[in-house]
Amino acid sequence: MKRRTFIALGSLVGVTPYLKAEPFSTQRKAFQETRETIAAVQTHMFPERSHLPSAAKMHTIDFTEETIFHPTYDKDIRAFVIEGAKTLMERENGKFLSYTAEQKEQALRAYEQTSHGRNWLSHIMVLSMEAIFSDPIYGSNSNEAGWKSVKSFGGKPRPKTRYIEL
Amino acid sequence: MKQTEYDVVIIGSGAGGGAVAYTLTKAGYKVAVLEKGRLIRREEFSKDELAYCRRDIVTPSLFDEYHVIEERINGKWVATPTYDSGWSFWNGNIVGGSSNFMSGMLHRLHPDDFRLKSKYGAIRGANVVDWPICYEDLEPYYTLAEDLIGISGHYIPHPFEAPRSTPDFPQPPTKENAVVKLIDQSCKKLGITPLVTPRAILSQDKGHRNACYYSNFCGSYGCSSGAKSSAREALLTPALATGNLTLLTNTHVKHLVTGSKEKINYALAVDTVTGKEKKIYGRLFVVAAQAHESARLLLNSANKDHPDGLANSSGELGKNLLFSGGGSGQGELHKKSLKHISFEELMQTGLFVNRSILDWYFIDDWWDGKFKGGSVEFMFEHQNIISRALKHNYNGENLVWGEALGKRVVKRFTEQKSIRFEIFNDWLPNDNCFVTIDPKHKDKYGMPVGKLRIEGHPQDVKVGNYIAKKCESVLEEMGAKNIYSSISNAPAQNLIAGGCRFGNNPRTSVLNKYCQAHDVPNLFVADASFMPTGGSVAYTWTIYANALRVADHIVEVLRSGSRPT
Repeated sequence: MKRRTFIALGSLVGVTPYLKAEPFSTQRKAFQETRETIAAVQTHMFPERSHLPSAAKMHTIDFTEETIFHPTYDKDIRAFVIEGAKTLMERENGKFLSYTAEQKEQALRAYEQTSHGRNWLSHIMVLSMEAIFSDPIYGSNSNEAGWKSVKSFGGKPRPKTRYIEL
Repeated sequence: MKQTEYDVVIIGSGAGGGAVAYTLTKAGYKVAVLEKGRLIRREEFSKDELAYCRRDIVTPSLFDEYHVIEERINGKWVATPTYDSGWSFWNGNIVGGSSNFMSGMLHRLHPDDFRLKSKYGAIRGANVVDWPICYEDLEPYYTLAEDLIGISGHYIPHPFEAPRSTPDFPQPPTKENAVVKLIDQSCKKLGITPLVTPRAILSQDKGHRNACYYSNFCGSYGCSSGAKSSAREALLTPALATGNLTLLTNTHVKHLVTGSKEKINYALAVDTVTGKEKKIYGRLFVVAAQAHESARLLLNSANKDHPDGLANSSGELGKNLLFSGGGSGQGELHKKSLKHISFEELMQTGLFVNRSILDWYFIDDWWDGKFKGGSVEFMFEHQNIISRALKHNYNGENLVWGEALGKRVVKRFTEQKSIRFEIFNDWLPNDNCFVTIDPKHKDKYGMPVGKLRIEGHPQDVKVGNYIAKKCESVLEEMGAKNIYSSISNAPAQNLIAGGCRFGNNPRTSVLNKYCQAHDVPNLFVADASFMPTGGSVAYTWTIYANALRVADHIVEVLRSGSRPT
């Protein structure tokens, strides 16, 4: 399936208006409103003591924010990341953040049953993996903890700047 | 003010453009190379997976510049802009082009690739023709390219290996992972002859370039030692040292402008940073922008004398576009069941898997019959960490996360290694694989984008499947688990040729045997566009060799001082 068809399928359940590019500043504000929810989902996906470094310790949410607002990031996926979090919050009547781990698991698995939710969770997974396993210069993978966990290390030379100074 | 007029203006700085620039500047001619991307120097490259492999850092944003891809879906042609699909057909738009990012597994074409129609006859639905030159014409240039750009390897005689005028490669093979012992043993047990892959990577220092330092991240990345034989390192750096080369980066050519019916006067280019237009004048023009973009440029250069595109009186411009047939397969070598080599040896990073198979380049099978086959390369799964971690994180349709995900990922990285094979077979030229310009879609410079109709010939899949079965048996013999292969008519968008086929008849070809336009004598095309059939190996060595041959002819034209004929 084509990538944007993938996104658009999600749009069928309510994301369409948001995929029409909003001003950058509006998206920034919208992200701040969803930041905690996205962070909570990442923490649920990458908890402590799960063989990989946790999302919390790797600051995956900071990486996510910086990444999706970088000019190299797909603007449609940026809109989708924000809107998908809003949908989750609405589905759970604003209570997702206060849920126990078990309740979060139930909520996310239920969300995964929708094409919108499945696609959104997939993007959050990709952003989290990118955080944990990209070069530490991007602010996550602290002390190469992600690389150490899988005994695989990035090649040399390592980047001296993010995105080779566009 | 008098305009600067270069002897030769080259559009594109990849393998074709670089090889022409090298020869001409060494011969003392003033050359301008126009590259739409920027220059990334050796010391600027890094192994940054996020930047180079997961974002559009070295290719245009698809929202700014894109293609429209037309595929047959349920019997109907459906056109999709690549900004919608995310299916990019850009390949390294920086100085040196996609040669910066190749894995460098190169082979010469076989002599029979030059006479496919004579040798194997016509194939229904395929526009197969013989080339206007033969292997003997190109052999000296394969040898020159091998020496000039630096191809390491070890020659093993084989019935389907092209003949050589020198006994062996100029440099020994790069260091190899112990897995080659396993491949060799398995192949021999099955009666298959494994060959050492010629690789465009230096195993020893060569002039200003240092030998490979085995970084473990080669393909898809620029090289930080200069070992990879990119056009930038091997050809443009020495060309610049002559003082005869003007390298104009961030210079995107919109179209070529003729002064008379048979002569291009200048290239109209736009500075991609400032947006300012400029005219670049030359006596001769060489287009080498990668096959689909070269055809697009000539189509976009239509004028009153050339209403269907520059040099298109034959109507062949853009037609018979080629990709590469075949596909790939993979199996897992597990710590627990590994035989003949130790797991520690297998996990040693950075070393190459220099093994190819040419046994099925031509097939004469008691059951399947006689037909043109293809070549096979072995390699490890790409070592990119993010992309490897993202595999196997699904259980059916559901994502795996939490402790279950951690266990899976760690096990995958520490208890197994995947070995792959890639099959290259002919993408048969056909009427449903071509490039035109889109009547509606324009890039950010206001130029119509290339519209690619893509359909492979059924024979391509038949050949790929035949070879894939053989390769799967090699992996099985190696003791690999979870073996699978994937053969389809989906094109590899980094292997593009054709669209300006060369030939002796101006009514059926765009270029003559020197890759000079039949209609416009001061126009040459020096990328893979000239190829009427593609052969069954990666195109790069043939692009280098042919561009060096074309460049020698251009020198003759310039020396004679006459109007090119």
